[in-house]
Amino acid sequence: MEPVAVYLHIPFCQTRCGYCDFNTYAGVQQFIPAYVDALCREIEQVAAAAPAPLAGKTVFFGGGTPSLLSSPQISQILRCLSSNLDLSGCAEISLEANPGTVDEERLAGFLEAGVNRLSLGMQSANPAELSILDRQHQPGDVQAAVAAARNAGFANISLDLIYGIPGQDMDSWLKTLRAALELLPEHLSLYCLTVEEGTPLEEQIKNGSVQKPDDDLAADLFTAALELLNQDGFERYEISNFAAKRGGLLMTCAHNLTYWRNQPYLGFGAGAHGCADKVRTANVKPIPAYLSAVTSGKAKVFPAGPAAENIHCQSDWEIIEETMMLGLRLTGEGISARGFQTRFGRSIESLFPRQIQHLTARGLVEWDGETLRLSQQGSMLGNQVFLEFVGNRPPPDFQ
Amino acid sequence: MRTDKIRNFCIIAHIDHGKSTLADRLLQMTGTISDREMTEQVLDSMDLEREKGVTIKASAVRMLYSAKDGESYELNLIDTPGHVDFNYEVSRALEACEGAVLVVDATQGIEAQTLANLYLAIDSNLTVLPVINKIDLPSARPDEVADEVGSLLGFPPEEILRISAKEGINIDQVLEAVVRHIPPPRGDENEPLTALIFDSHYDPYKGVVAYIRVMQGSIRAADTLRLMAAQTDVKPVEIGIFSPNMKPTERLTVGDVGYVATGLKTVQECRVGDTFTSAATPAKAPLPGYRHPKPMVFAGIYPVENDDYSDLKDALEKLQLNDASLVFVPEKSQALNFGFRCGFLGLFHMEIIQERLEREYDLDIIVTAPSVEYEVVTLDGAVSRIDSPAQLPDEAIIQEIREPWMNLQIFTPTEFYGTVMDLVTKRRGSYKSQEYPAPNRVQLNFEIPLSELIVDFFDDLKSRTKGYASMDYSFLEYRPGNLVRLEIMVGGEPVDALTAIVHKEDAYHKGQRLVTKLKDIIPRQQFDVAVQAASGGRIISRANVRAMRKDVLAKCYGGDITRKKKLLEKQKKGKRRMKMVGSVEIPQEAFMAVLRLEED
Repeated sequence: MEPVAVYLHIPFCQTRCGYCDFNTYAGVQQFIPAYVDALCREIEQVAAAAPAPLAGKTVFFGGGTPSLLSSPQISQILRCLSSNLDLSGCAEISLEANPGTVDEERLAGFLEAGVNRLSLGMQSANPAELSILDRQHQPGDVQAAVAAARNAGFANISLDLIYGIPGQDMDSWLKTLRAALELLPEHLSLYCLTVEEGTPLEEQIKNGSVQKPDDDLAADLFTAALELLNQDGFERYEISNFAAKRGGLLMTCAHNLTYWRNQPYLGFGAGAHGCADKVRTANVKPIPAYLSAVTSGKAKVFPAGPAAENIHCQSDWEIIEETMMLGLRLTGEGISARGFQTRFGRSIESLFPRQIQHLTARGLVEWDGETLRLSQQGSMLGNQVFLEFVGNRPPPDFQ
Repeated sequence: MRTDKIRNFCIIAHIDHGKSTLADRLLQMTGTISDREMTEQVLDSMDLEREKGVTIKASAVRMLYSAKDGESYELNLIDTPGHVDFNYEVSRALEACEGAVLVVDATQGIEAQTLANLYLAIDSNLTVLPVINKIDLPSARPDEVADEVGSLLGFPPEEILRISAKEGINIDQVLEAVVRHIPPPRGDENEPLTALIFDSHYDPYKGVVAYIRVMQGSIRAADTLRLMAAQTDVKPVEIGIFSPNMKPTERLTVGDVGYVATGLKTVQECRVGDTFTSAATPAKAPLPGYRHPKPMVFAGIYPVENDDYSDLKDALEKLQLNDASLVFVPEKSQALNFGFRCGFLGLFHMEIIQERLEREYDLDIIVTAPSVEYEVVTLDGAVSRIDSPAQLPDEAIIQEIREPWMNLQIFTPTEFYGTVMDLVTKRRGSYKSQEYPAPNRVQLNFEIPLSELIVDFFDDLKSRTKGYASMDYSFLEYRPGNLVRLEIMVGGEPVDALTAIVHKEDAYHKGQRLVTKLKDIIPRQQFDVAVQAASGGRIISRANVRAMRKDVLAKCYGGDITRKKKLLEKQKKGKRRMKMVGSVEIPQEAFMAVLRLEED
């Protein structure tokens, strides 16, 4: 079995941000020790149920706020992982952290435990914007956190930024970008604020207390960012992701590349998603339900663990459609014709002739016979491209 | 069975007053159908009918009933369609009867179609047997309703039957009353055959099955029959009765209700209202009242994907097999490509066809705004009929445009008098007269252009009167109107399917509203799209749909691909309902937007 990426979901937060619709919970940190034990138990059970020994190529602690866990807790999880999966080829262990929850000692502990990549939720350098987002940290906390991480020895740091925040203008956004670049991160993620259904932010916009973000302004902000980051030596390799070069190496996130290349990954923790052996899984979301499922339940057929509530077997056609939808997000490498042919035994052109022709004519994709990738405009209008590749019937000669 | 032991009758009622439920009970009570076989409302066989709660097609069924006088009777129940669009079919079904059971809801009382159907029944010289239904409901007011009905019919209120079809209360009294009060059929078995076709359906094995009532003479299975209006001879595949399913017989005689399986391929060859006679000894004259029902409302139906054109054609042909009133001819629109101009009896008929195409045939279709048929007089004096605004000739050569006007009856509680008057005058209607057929109820008679009726008029009436008013309408005449063409351009291209014919005084205002609406309805595209309205060679309004600059899902959170995919599939579904016009995607709603200009 090919090595898998491992995602570990840490659903705890100090407070819940108004825009967030992830599976996170505030004020239940007393469950953390039990949760860490449950994670370990889930890992053991899934590994035991695997048809062959598992190898991990990346590990990612996502949340929520994984930095709320202590370094012994992180260490406990990683030790459990390495005794159940072969991690000898694992080059990247990422952890998401909120500025303001970490100091040098804690970070050194994480590094000691094995974490080698830190992803900091900087979001903005403007206090008013941070407050609209309900973020608990101050701009200064980011500088402090990065400095602490560097001192502790982290050589791979990523910063998350959000644009399209209500009230944000070009000036403020450029200030945020410059502040981020001054910290010399290896990696940047720029996410457009999406007003998700059922979030407090949506409610605030509905009742008029917060101004609705403007799509056209967001487009302007992003375009300006592209230019600035390009000047600063960053390479855009995915719709929202940018990597710097260190020693000739592009510092991409190997873990996230696994998703976009539609390669296998296992998800552990409440609400975590996994995909391996042509099966997509999703765990139960609430923490108590997860704890009891893992404590009392048994692993189901691999890769479904004891807490899996959705288990979906993928057809070959679905895998192909998802490979297109995900692979096209990779603005740099795109989808390689040869790689596609090797994986599926069919050429891209034979399966999607109409789509390729149509999207090329609209100037949304570039196709040279070897690689299919988004054009500059296509990368702004990605959905217009992706939706051409989902929900189609397989061609009649597809078996 | 001797003719004097036959009773042919129908049940007439306003929508939802319980006609079908009563029919069900009669079938059960006479043992025509066992309780086990009893699916609710057997007579309405189409799903759509059940959902819309109305009967679209009539049917007939023979019941055998042992009456309290010790005699056995043959009761033929003829079910009639329950909507004004199908008035002609109703009138033919009534011709096949001697009596009508008039069902009136004990909670609602008399409604517009109670009256409309009653007048039709009286025109057909039927004996009317009033029945008050739903007496089990707490809000029932049977005494009041009996007084209303009694004074309307000149019938002693205390003799009016009070029943609950739903609960099976007093159903036996209905059967007894049918036998006692409705006269047996008249006619002479020895006369040359005349049999009225009052309905038909298409059967893949037996061809068109005509539902008939023998008025004079008799039919043997082996006879060659002649359709007098169509002037064709047919050798029946079989003849028979409905009990309730088709059951072949050797003979149908005067007074009988049954069927003739003709082997004909389309219902157009064997129309409702036509007369069967014997080819060997034909009758001198057909039965009176044959009419070729004319479509009143027209709309274009186009496949969303051009590739589906032939599937759409097949589907329309199949629907037409059973629906002689549906007409369609191929139509080419610059905007929508190849499709069909379809004619319907009314808006309700149009909705049924649209839904059946979508549901039963799984087609993605665009239906353009409905239009009436205009008469256009050109300067050379020539008169032509057009059923689509796109067909309107150059304004420079038009002398006059005439539009169809209707007689409109609205029946409403008197408290809504003002709002009804307001609705009709706003829509260019004019008041003619009023009647008070029941206490606190008024029937208002108007004349109104049909084009004003087909645009949500009924919905508007219902909402203004809290659902209490009902209406009926019939064709009056063509009248000249001050009408002009309102043209819409999207991305600089005129979109013929968005063209409308409007009253000149409204053109400016409607043009502006339409452009504003379209600007909101047409989603942002990859480039700027101009939306313009023009009338009389002048641009009267313009708006811009700005180019979409950003449309991309941000984060692939923790590998949750399913959710992303769902969002994309939803977005794609929305796109499926859009039509590429030039390089602009226009949603289905845009083609209907012209209808909804008075709202909000």
